[in-house]
Amino acid sequence: MVKIEASTALVLDDTGTLSVTELVEQSGLTEEELQALVDCGALEPRDAAGRSWKFSARCVVTARTARRLRDDFALDDTHALAVVLRFMQRIEALERELRRRG
Amino acid sequence: MKYKDYYAALGVPRTAGADDIKKAYRKLARKYHPDVSKEAGAEEKFKEVAEAYETLKDPEKRAAYDQLGRHDPGEQFRPPPGWEQSFGDSSFSFEDVDLGDLLAGMTGRGRRGPRAQNMPMPGQDFEAAVRISFDQAYKGTEIELDMAVPEPDENGFLRRVPKKIRVRVPKGVTDGQKLRVPGKGGKGANGGRDGDLYLGIEVQAHPLYRAEGLDLYMELPLAPWEAVLGASVDVPTPAGRVTLKVPAGTHAGQKLRLSGRGLSRPDGTSGHLYAVAQIVVPTVVDERQRALFTQLQDASTFNPRAHMVD
Repeated sequence: MVKIEASTALVLDDTGTLSVTELVEQSGLTEEELQALVDCGALEPRDAAGRSWKFSARCVVTARTARRLRDDFALDDTHALAVVLRFMQRIEALERELRRRG
Repeated sequence: MKYKDYYAALGVPRTAGADDIKKAYRKLARKYHPDVSKEAGAEEKFKEVAEAYETLKDPEKRAAYDQLGRHDPGEQFRPPPGWEQSFGDSSFSFEDVDLGDLLAGMTGRGRRGPRAQNMPMPGQDFEAAVRISFDQAYKGTEIELDMAVPEPDENGFLRRVPKKIRVRVPKGVTDGQKLRVPGKGGKGANGGRDGDLYLGIEVQAHPLYRAEGLDLYMELPLAPWEAVLGASVDVPTPAGRVTLKVPAGTHAGQKLRLSGRGLSRPDGTSGHLYAVAQIVVPTVVDERQRALFTQLQDASTFNPRAHMVD
């Protein structure tokens, strides 16, 4: 049997950095939606004052969750989306904590 | 091909307007979305309504779906002659194709004319959950995923095919983290980029170590005399056993740090291993020990509840 070549997985944490274009491509959100999520604090660019934003790779997870929630619940209000996203993140953190405690 | 009644899935009449379809979908999504409902079968139900909405919200897909006419759900049927030509190639067998996959693959296809047909289409992203052991997370590992992924066949229609993907997971990943494997999603069309594979990592709990970021915590049971007098104790770490110096007067809950012995990442950053002191007592003592404890009690002026005195 042919051995399949292994591909290296990139961890979506604070070590990697990506541009707005890359974040748009990887999240499926539009640049306007990203902008709105930054405006309401759901996404934080590395250097908010800089001319072109850079995001940590962790933001891919947040932005993709936002995209999924937007699509799954047919949300069309970005502020509401940011609130739902925040709740989602809290639930995930609590579920992790529960699992950790066994 | 098996027929699916998308209108029935959303509970709307076939004449429903876009607004009513959206309203009906939202209501069902709020009820059945797996993030909201933990009810048995909710996830299946959500997938069903999401697939229905995916088609009915798009005027082109809805029109193509409407042309199929009405059938009983699950009924094997053939699309009307020429239906496939309306958005793709001819001479196509619909035998084992999934209606949802077929309509999902319609985006940007023939209906918009030749220009749209050649438009670069990025490949679909795939997602999978992966459970690894603590040891695998600590050392890094290679995993093999067996997936059923939609891939375009020779006619450009999406069909699910089994696919094995091997992934190298770097060391130092933690529970709940997401990984991205570039280019391992669906193939892009007309020069569009390939999709990515996203993995959600679940690290199995370890009987001794608990991770918080890169730091690890373990309980360190100490006998009262070890805690009072200090001791050198032999403790396990993920990299092997080491001797830990417990200072005299160690109290319960005190964290003793084993520097750099937590999880480490390929870039060299690493966490610490904390041994959290616990004072444990022997439940059975013989006469001699009992006499010694009594002697200690008489000699000591230590009041552990001094702070509770008014």
